[in-house]
Amino acid sequence: MTQPSWWHRFSVRGVFWRQLLRFAILNVPPWIEPIVMASWSLFFLMWGSARRAVIRNLGVIKPGSFAIVNFFRCYRLFWNYAWTIADNVRFKEARTIPDWEFTGWKFFQEMQERDGGAILLTAHMGSYDLGAHLFAETSSRRIVMVRAPEADPETRAFEQDRAAEGLRIEFNTRSTDLAIDLLDVIREGNIVAIQGDRVTGEIGFLPATVFGKPTRVPAGPFALALAARVPIFPVFVVRLGRRRYRLMTARPIELVRSRDRDDDFRRAVEQWVEELEHVIRDCWSQWFTFEPYWPELAA
Amino acid sequence: MNVIVNRSAARWLPSRHRFALAQLVAFTHLRQGKPQDANGPDHLILHIDRDQSAAEAYAVAVWVFVTVAAYLAAILPVPQPLAIIVAIPLASIVIHIPIVVGGLLLRLILGDNDHVKIVSVGTMSLLFVWSFYVARGDSWARFVAWFFFAVLACNAIAAAILWLLRAAVQAEESRCAR
Repeated sequence: MTQPSWWHRFSVRGVFWRQLLRFAILNVPPWIEPIVMASWSLFFLMWGSARRAVIRNLGVIKPGSFAIVNFFRCYRLFWNYAWTIADNVRFKEARTIPDWEFTGWKFFQEMQERDGGAILLTAHMGSYDLGAHLFAETSSRRIVMVRAPEADPETRAFEQDRAAEGLRIEFNTRSTDLAIDLLDVIREGNIVAIQGDRVTGEIGFLPATVFGKPTRVPAGPFALALAARVPIFPVFVVRLGRRRYRLMTARPIELVRSRDRDDDFRRAVEQWVEELEHVIRDCWSQWFTFEPYWPELAA
Repeated sequence: MNVIVNRSAARWLPSRHRFALAQLVAFTHLRQGKPQDANGPDHLILHIDRDQSAAEAYAVAVWVFVTVAAYLAAILPVPQPLAIIVAIPLASIVIHIPIVVGGLLLRLILGDNDHVKIVSVGTMSLLFVWSFYVARGDSWARFVAWFFFAVLACNAIAAAILWLLRAAVQAEESRCAR
């Protein structure tokens, strides 16, 4: 295996920026924080590929919008992302938690109180560490997060060293073994949390139509729900302001097994996409997708 | 974890604010005892932390930023309109200096720990000294420096009032947290 070049750590996904963020959390006074956030959000607008991808995605979410307006929307998205990852690191380093508001509380309680496990399907919004911590504080169930690993090996090692206590993270790269492990986790009455808005790497997918354009969503959560015979609870973490988040739980998706497996998946995916579109439309500045989401935008 | 559940009024707890002026404003709101918001969230968890108030953090950040930008604009050797434009990005860089230098020094001396309190006191002290210097000069920025000291004086008066009201503040906080 070849060693990455020394400057690789300064690339946008390199470990340097994670180390710098941790340094900031340990040194920036809270009353200067907004200035620092505004400055660095502006700096990261130079990340051209992400900026262009966000602007293109916004063009689909908000049809007929002007590119210049979406440029400023892109800044708002970067600003939200900066605060979100900072809140995440602050929680890990200083155990500082934000204020939480809940909507769909009855569905959230249903997930907590039901017999047997469940699948929590979420999107690239908010912070999974903070969300998982909140879950640990309000529930007796264990939560296992499934997500894509960091692309950069140094960054991956840095994040693994600083993972929040009590949070089990599984990476979606070892799909066959992982499916069996996750099935066991659910059968033990626990919760599996998966990001279901986009396909990363070589994982199974299902076709979907989001905002009228064809795309793909991960097949894993739907296949797991069908195998384990448990509902899927769409849950979204949205940043409302400084140290203030909302946890939105939607009506559960029940996968009913029929003779036509493809049709079972299609109905479940449609319900998921409906929830996803609704949340993204209202909270476009919180959807942290830094690649062209729709294949036709990437072309 | 120090939290209050399902009491929206707890947003105004003085203990959720850092500076005395903000604590006094929060206490006044808390005393008014506005009823629970009927259109509020289904469930609410509020964390008790001195730096939890967004309004306070943004207000202080804007005040500090404008102060530093004004001091820089006053000393830049270019025409004033241009100086004000240049001072805006320059201020954001200058504000980083005590954090980066102080943070690195503290890391060398005290180790890789949380130094927010020391950096906070150090940065405010530097701003105080700079404001003192500007306030004694004859540039237009002296008015900004005077305003800086006026805010500090108001904060000191608020601290004194809060000290006198400390029993009432504690009683109100306990009532809200119950």
